Parts: sequence; structure tokens; C-alpha cells
Amino acid sequence: MLTAENRARWRLAGLLSPATLIIGLFFVVPLAIMALYSLLEPGMYGGVEWTFYPDNFGRILGWADGSNEEFDVVYLQILLRSFKLAAITVLLTLLVCYPAAFWVSRQPERLRNFCLFLITLPFFTSLIVRLYAWVLILRPTGFLNASLQGLGLIDAPLDLIYTEGAVLLGMTYIFVPFMFLPIYASVEKLDRRLLEASADLGAGRWQSFWRVIFPLTLPGIAAGSIIVFIPSLGNFIVPSLLGGARVLMIGNLVEQQFLAARNWPFGAALAMLIMAAVLLFLLLYVRWQGRAALKEAAR
Amino acid sequence: MNRLLGLVGRRLLGGYSLAFFVFLYLPIGLIVAYSFNGNPLNMMIWSGASLDWYRSLFGLSNSLSENALYVESTGQLLAALRTSLAVALVTTLISTLVGTLTALALARYRFRLQGFYRVLLFLPMLMPDIVLGIALLIFFVGAGVPLGKGSIIIGHCTFLISYVFLIVSARLAGMDTRLEEASADLGASAWTTLRRITLPQILPGVLGGALLAFIISMDDLVITYFISGVDSTTLPVFIYGMIRRGIKPEINAIATLLLLASLLIASLGLYLRNRKPATSSDDHAHG
Repeated sequence: MLTAENRARWRLAGLLSPATLIIGLFFVVPLAIMALYSLLEPGMYGGVEWTFYPDNFGRILGWADGSNEEFDVVYLQILLRSFKLAAITVLLTLLVCYPAAFWVSRQPERLRNFCLFLITLPFFTSLIVRLYAWVLILRPTGFLNASLQGLGLIDAPLDLIYTEGAVLLGMTYIFVPFMFLPIYASVEKLDRRLLEASADLGAGRWQSFWRVIFPLTLPGIAAGSIIVFIPSLGNFIVPSLLGGARVLMIGNLVEQQFLAARNWPFGAALAMLIMAAVLLFLLLYVRWQGRAALKEAAR
Repeated sequence: MNRLLGLVGRRLLGGYSLAFFVFLYLPIGLIVAYSFNGNPLNMMIWSGASLDWYRSLFGLSNSLSENALYVESTGQLLAALRTSLAVALVTTLISTLVGTLTALALARYRFRLQGFYRVLLFLPMLMPDIVLGIALLIFFVGAGVPLGKGSIIIGHCTFLISYVFLIVSARLAGMDTRLEEASADLGASAWTTLRRITLPQILPGVLGGALLAFIISMDDLVITYFISGVDSTTLPVFIYGMIRRGIKPEINAIATLLLLASLLIASLGLYLRNRKPATSSDDHAHG
């Protein structure tokens, strides 16, 4: 006969085991194997040799001595470009969403709900379709060039697609809803009375914004930034459609190593760098959040 | 003066927000418009409305000449759609079940590894697609698992369990636990309490989680791209391939149909979310 406590323990084990099994076997184990691969020597025809081989990282970060692999600065450049484009994407989505979130929060309820529906709709809309729209707009014979030429503003098509600008536009477009919702959540919670108090005490608009509104919406900004930064950094669909061969990001390199060059250990090393960066930013975010919560509690 | 400044500021903000919504929807609107353009030679020049691209998509007769037939094969397209639907249905079933069980475990039991489990369940959502995609590729190839519908389903489940878990957990957190306690006090077994009290209350959360899992599974491109086999292409991977090979008017038609489907699903989701559970108002009355 099982005691009540024992029965509860078995029930808990039963509830947890499916997720433990699936996430353990198909998430934790594959990532561990990927980490192992990144330290093994690439073999012939896409295989691996079971020898320790730090040069996969050396090729990217600069300590390969040339006896096995050459250090090529191009990998570092692509890595830095990925960080740069992801950071600019965060800034652009922020610039696009912040004022709009304020406006939406001040509308009467029905219009506000409709606006929120319009912003959540892209979450349900195929990502590839939304990106394809920008291919249609930006390509040499696309909507923008055709319109400008039709109006007689330009003679020859402009170089729009396959530029960093096109990649930024595409990433901003697909990640705007990710930034909008966290910002909106914190803007909606703003206490109007604080703004009135700040104005009554003689603060100008500018001062009110930077000393009252901005700090109060910072949690939303931080959450939105991290949610946009993570998928931007490792993105390869946007640069492959809108960046072409000219604007490669680290995700494109990973794809090449796995599907074309068949150097899996090197591709795994590149992916490890993406994962390390993401985990580092998450850790910083969680620590910052923890400190902010402590400050709040101490108040 | 300050009032005038305020008025101008509000107008500017309104204009900016209008531009924001135009930015969100103009590109999508263009695809829809182009999909009805009957011009077989230049997509950018309007030459009257036509359903030719839709007809060509499904292999029906149309007014296009034989050599204006662009789509590779209607069969391939429909096969990709079928694969996507099959994968999404199975994935939704598994991840909804497992995600809900896990949410129940973390919300209703106290145990030592609780914090560990919360982090473990968050990570698959935050892991960049490409990292998870190649990790699974290495794993499947190494373990001798053939790439196909099965591998795609496993891949999708690893991160969709987390989404369902999150949504159902939110629902459980907002639920009145006294009802469950009362049920147990009145002698109901754990199973009866779960079936009669807990499940009906969290049902909107479970359905919402299932809907989200279905949508994300149908739309996933990156992870599927790495772990789908030759004859198990899903719809997003198929469309990605089509775009890479060149822009064809049929893509506009497929894209428009997908947009229509997502509008329907989003409306369903909104309906589910806004429908208040019948018991929630009673809770307060008795509380």
C-alpha cells in the first residue's frame, strides 16, 4: 500500500517525465554533442576525427597557427557585422515601436483593441511571406524601383536589395511585433499622475521624459531588446534573401558549413559562438532584472 | 504656447503611428494586389485582374499560354502542404499534452528541482533556431535517425512544449486553488479533481497553447530546413526554395492564400482569448 506522500511523488514523476525525456534527449543531448563536435578535427567528406582540435575556434578568433588551418579575418568581420546588424535592428525596432506604443495606449478602447489586433496579426502570418514582400519591393525590377522610374525620379534602378540596409529593413519588419508588445505593456502601466506631478513640479517635456517616463518603461525596453536581439544575431533567412552573397551574417556561415562545405566541426564552432553570445546576454539581462527587482523592493 | 506645442505633438505622434501601421501592412497588401495581376510577362505592370495564378497553382486551365506555366509542380506544392499539416497536427498533440502535464507539475507540486525545470523549459524558446537546427541535424545523423516527418516532429516538439507550458502556466497561476482544495476535502480523488475542476478551468489556456503550437509548427522554417529529408519538404521550406530560384507570380498566389489562412486562425485565437470562462465570475461571487 502506497502512502499519500509516495503517491504524490509518483504522480509528480509521471507528470514530469515526458518533458524531461523529450527536452533531455532532443535538446540537451544534441547541444552537448554540438559542443563536442566544435572541438573535434574535421574529417574527410564531412565526417570528424576523434582528436582534440581547438583550431575550429582558432580560425575564427585568430589563434590558428597556420599548420592546420589558416586564420582568416573574414570570419571575425562577419561575426562583428552580425553583432552590429543585430544591435541596429534593436535600435530601429525601438524607434519604430516606442512612439506608436504611446499613441496606441491613449486611444479609446475599441480602436486600441483593433490596433493591438493589427500588431499581433503578423505573429500568425507566415514569416517567409512577410520577407518575400520585401524581396518584391527591393529587387532591381521591384516595386520601389519600378515606381521611382515610372515617376521619372531615377533613370537606372537603384541598388536596394543585397545591401546591409535591406537586411536591416527586413529584420526590423519581422521583429517589430516582438518589440512592440513588451513596450506597450510597460507604457500601459504608466501612472498618469506621475506625469502630472512631474509637470506640476516644473519639469519640461524633455525632462519629464528622461527622468520619469523613460526609467519607468525601461523594463519593457530591455525585454523587447533581448527578444529582438537573440533571433537577429543568428538569423540566416533574412540575409540569405535580402543580403545575398554581399551581406553575410554568421548564420549564413553556419548554413554553408553544414549544407555546402560539409565542415561540421567548424560550423558547430560558429554555432557555439552564437549560443555563447545569446547565453551571455540572457545572463546579463536576468542579473539586471534581479537588481531592478531588489531596488523596487527596497523602495 | 505650451498647449499649441502639445497639439502639434499629438498630431505628429498620430501621423507617426499611422505610418507605423502602413509600414506593417503595405508590403503584405502589395503581395495580395500582385497575386491578382493578370500580366504574364511583367508582374509590376497592372494589366487587369485575373485568377490565372491561382488556377495555375492548382493545375487548372487558365488563360496563360503553355510556356507561361511557372510553377514546378502542383503535386510538389500539395505534398509540401500535406507534410506541413501532418507534422503540425502531430506536433500540436504531443506538445500540448506534454506542456500541460509539465505546467500542472510545476504549479501544483513543490519539489527541489523546480528552479532547474523553469530554466530548462525556458531555454528551448530562447535558443536561436539555427543553433537548435544544426544540433538536431548532428544528433539525428549520428544516431542514425532518418530525416523525414518523424525528425521534424521531434524537432518541433523540443521547443513547442515550452510555449504550451508557458501559456498553460499563466492560466494555472490565475486560477483559484481553493476549488481544488475543496474538491479534495470533499473526498474526490486527484484524478477526479483534475478532470472535473482543473481541466475545465485551464481549457482556454490549453486551447490557446495548442493553437500557438500549431501556428509555429506550420510556419517554422529554420529548424525544419536543417532536419527535413529530401521527400519531406514542408510548405515554408518549399516556398523558401521557390523564392531562391526566382520570383514567379504563383508565389504571390500561394502567399495570399497563406495570409488568408493566418487571418482566419488569428481571428479564431482572438475569439478564444476573449471568451471568458463561464465559471470565473462565479468564483468571485462565492469568494
